[in-house]
Amino acid sequence: MSLTFDPTTLAPYLGFLAAGARLTALACALALAGGLALGIVVALMRTAASPLARRAAGIYVDVFRNVPFIVQLFFLFYGLPEIGIMLSAFATGVLALSLAGGAFSSDVIRAGILAVEPGVLEAAQVSGLPRLAIVRRIVLPIALRSSVRPLGSVFVNLVLTSSILSAITLNELTGSAKIVASDTFQPFEVYALLLLLYAMLTWLVSLSAGVLHRRLNRSHR
Amino acid sequence: MRYADFTSLDLLLLLQGLGVSAALFAATTVIGTAIGLAWALLRYYRTPLLAPGVAVLAELLKNSPVLVQLFLVFFGLPVLLETDLSPEQAALITLSANTAAFIYVIAVSAIESVGRDQLETARVFGLNRWQTLRRVVAPQAAAFGLGPLAGLLVNQLQVTSLISVIGVIDLTKAGAILNQRTLKPFIVWTVIGLLYYLMARLIARTCARAESRLRGHSQWKGL
Repeated sequence: MSLTFDPTTLAPYLGFLAAGARLTALACALALAGGLALGIVVALMRTAASPLARRAAGIYVDVFRNVPFIVQLFFLFYGLPEIGIMLSAFATGVLALSLAGGAFSSDVIRAGILAVEPGVLEAAQVSGLPRLAIVRRIVLPIALRSSVRPLGSVFVNLVLTSSILSAITLNELTGSAKIVASDTFQPFEVYALLLLLYAMLTWLVSLSAGVLHRRLNRSHR
Repeated sequence: MRYADFTSLDLLLLLQGLGVSAALFAATTVIGTAIGLAWALLRYYRTPLLAPGVAVLAELLKNSPVLVQLFLVFFGLPVLLETDLSPEQAALITLSANTAAFIYVIAVSAIESVGRDQLETARVFGLNRWQTLRRVVAPQAAAFGLGPLAGLLVNQLQVTSLISVIGVIDLTKAGAILNQRTLKPFIVWTVIGLLYYLMARLIARTCARAESRLRGHSQWKGL
């Protein structure tokens, strides 16, 4: 039986894997929204005039970038019930992904904010716009538009990181593949297929981020 | 009856986990750097077939979860080749290959950062391709690549935490064991996180020091 490679026997399990892929996609989409919202707030804090806000945001980013995701995940998964917050594995996973995603996307958005020309800001201030309007109508649109492509690679990392959610009993794509592997006794075929699936998924994500980036920045070349 | 308090032996477990994580990180960094640089050399010499093959492999390794790669090697490879693989061996193979892929990307862009005019000048001076690489390209590429390398190494340290999933007793696994026994998740995971944080800091600082040394020649020294 040595060196047999027969992926055709996996055909009956494709539906099951697709369900796992849907869960991965859902978790990633929710975490993208959460991470982006958090990233915008943190990036604004890091570029704020108040030293306290800058410092708090800096510590948050520093901690979540330098501690392994699986440790953050276990901290939340085992720690939250301890203080009476009962979340499902899925909710915990999305929360952890959002927190980590927020740290990474705030870096990108911060760079986008710093790249906004000072002249534009001065013009807005001279026109007498209130601060919130400057942030909402001028700084963020420019900063976000220029950071679509780097945000795409943050999102690619988020998709890859989401495979770790299988460690807290969540049967997303990797979790379901584990079940299929132990069902079929064909771990090599299953995980090789999974590797290709993830590579294709992330390739599509970075491709569409590139297209979106070009489209949004079309008039600014 | 369970013994739920922390004991002094827990410190030993923590230290052992720390040692395993650090050792695996060091080993995979060395092996991965060697392989990644060899791959970059294949590209530098434009080796037919091998160079594009390596590019595809690196792209595949970069764009798939390390956890899946780990499962493929630990569960899949022994079945395919009918051999036995310990979790430590599987971790070593996977993380070395993964590091190699990222080192390859950094090395390629570092080599390309050296201007074409310099290569032509070296050629005019009669240096062969190896001498050009050794004397002209490598020193500048090393200084260029150290910045991204620092980021990569901090990331790879965090990636080592995944080997706990296939049963290697590293720092994360030590945390999981302590967490299960003492049922004090906040203390346990905070300590584990802090230890990882300190290691990451140490790596970043070492890289920053090495970079300032390598860039020393181009810095303004005063008159």
